[in-house]
Amino acid sequence: MPAKYMIHTRAAPNRFKAPTKSGIIAWWEGCLGCLHCVKKQCVYGVYGSRDLDVRQMIDSIDNQCMGCLRCVQGCPRELIHKSMNPEYEALGDSHWTPEIISSLWYQAETGKIPVSGGGYPGPFSGPGFDSMWTDMSEIVRPTRDGIHGREYISTGIDMGGTSGHLSFSNSGDLQDNLPFGLDIPLPIILRVPSFGSLSGDTIKGWALAAKELGTFLALPVDMITGELVSFRESLIPIMSPIQPHSGDGLEGVRLVEVPWGENWKEIVKRIKESHPSALISCRVPLVRGMVEKIMSLVDSDVSILYLEGTASGRAIDDNSIFIKDGIRQTHLALVERGIRDEVTLLAGGGIAMAEHAAKAIICGADGVVIDFAILIALECRMCRRCTKGLPCPVEIDRAEQSWVGSRITNLLGAWHNQLLEVMGAMGIRDVRRLRGETGRAMFFEDLDRSTFGSLSEVQKGYELE
Amino acid sequence: MPTQSNPNLALFYCQHTPESGEGDRQSLEAKYGKSLRLFPMPCSSRIEPIHLLRALEEFADAAYVITCPEGECRYSDGNLRARKRVQRVREAIASIGLKGDRVGLVMNSRENPKSLARLVDEIMVTFTRFEPSSMLKVPGQ
Repeated sequence: MPAKYMIHTRAAPNRFKAPTKSGIIAWWEGCLGCLHCVKKQCVYGVYGSRDLDVRQMIDSIDNQCMGCLRCVQGCPRELIHKSMNPEYEALGDSHWTPEIISSLWYQAETGKIPVSGGGYPGPFSGPGFDSMWTDMSEIVRPTRDGIHGREYISTGIDMGGTSGHLSFSNSGDLQDNLPFGLDIPLPIILRVPSFGSLSGDTIKGWALAAKELGTFLALPVDMITGELVSFRESLIPIMSPIQPHSGDGLEGVRLVEVPWGENWKEIVKRIKESHPSALISCRVPLVRGMVEKIMSLVDSDVSILYLEGTASGRAIDDNSIFIKDGIRQTHLALVERGIRDEVTLLAGGGIAMAEHAAKAIICGADGVVIDFAILIALECRMCRRCTKGLPCPVEIDRAEQSWVGSRITNLLGAWHNQLLEVMGAMGIRDVRRLRGETGRAMFFEDLDRSTFGSLSEVQKGYELE
Repeated sequence: MPTQSNPNLALFYCQHTPESGEGDRQSLEAKYGKSLRLFPMPCSSRIEPIHLLRALEEFADAAYVITCPEGECRYSDGNLRARKRVQRVREAIASIGLKGDRVGLVMNSRENPKSLARLVDEIMVTFTRFEPSSMLKVPGQ
């Protein structure tokens, strides 16, 4: 039996103190000096070992506080208050919320699944992936000895299409060349994000992680220089639509990405000549009418489709279309044409949590592409200062390659474990079986329509006079 | 080492100061560069003397606090407490021979509330007259 795929994580501490959700406001004018807060109330010993990070002006009573509010309730003079931290609230945006960002930091630091107590505090339903609820009915019958136990749950996927049928000659020989494919042990591919304060070490660290994990890192072809060339088997060069690349120095590359454009056929032809053994992935932007584009691609040499939404997981030309809707539409169109297995469908843009990966696969993707998540793993605050020429508050460009590699390995280790948990709870043992398995999820919009959709309709013959 | 033309200011401000969101903060960073370090706080009473003193010791030639107008603190009297603490720090640094006005507090006006950018501009005008602080740690020592 082949060895189980395991991601070995090791703690990679933050280089900067992470802003936390709330801060303590201690009004020590009037303090009795009773030390109630220090000695009796705080079970975490936060008041007993205070420290101040001067560089960021972060006080340890803020970022070590677990928010139990015992000190607030226990102070005899009611001098201690807690308030939301404005630095925390300023993190990210409406998609990359402070909660998501701080959870990604925790996973990248520890490699562990984030666990929160006190139940789920969020809204009943929300936009995008938040309107999907996965079926965890099998959680009552878990695997005998946990997710890493004897019952193997596979997270491996195949890249590249398989033929719908075989053709034989009259003499019984195979007429077609069998399509070739690759398999990766994790349905997640890394991609260099469109902004970030990056250095050569950052990219090398990502490439190192991709190699260790057995997956790929997609990056613009002109970035592959120097030491990175030795990682080329784990890299996906992204070809530019304007400047054609000669292909020199890219021997051994197993996968190449081309953008959708007017001249994609020409680019694909050129790559097929220069890299005959490489699989070709075509990046299609998530826009209205993308299904027609995809259908025109599937008959060509392109065997991987990468559907890309915006950084917040929406269509480029319509904010009301989410990546999950795009994946479902594409998947179903391919199924209807009977060619679903002839292409691999990847989806990216706005994949921010492990559950997004599972949900994108349920909607019909084979795997997901993550970009900003691997930047946030390096402590990025999504403040976008780098896009305005301002210095990066966490100096990502000065991070060492090995630290970058460990942070990504930890993040994907945590995501891998969450995928195993989700699939275990669904009773699914192979991520390839999860693809398009919408029976394992409920969609809020469908339920809303079926439950309340007919309320405003009046049946014929029952009209009020 | 900071020079006279480029002194460093540590500025702590209450998050309820008008127009003090993340976008405004970044515009100020772009305008003043490394000579201004901004620290938003949930309330100006979050400031403690140690924050001001450590800023003066590590990187700042002066440390200022911006608070809400008198009587308008969300925590009732947080800004008054901040004022008391700043006063205490001024006395402390004056006693060791440093000019007391290296630490200051600006209380926003109730009748005519000013935006963070305007308050910062006003502080920076007076601040550029300061000589570099002799208290700053010299790198390597």
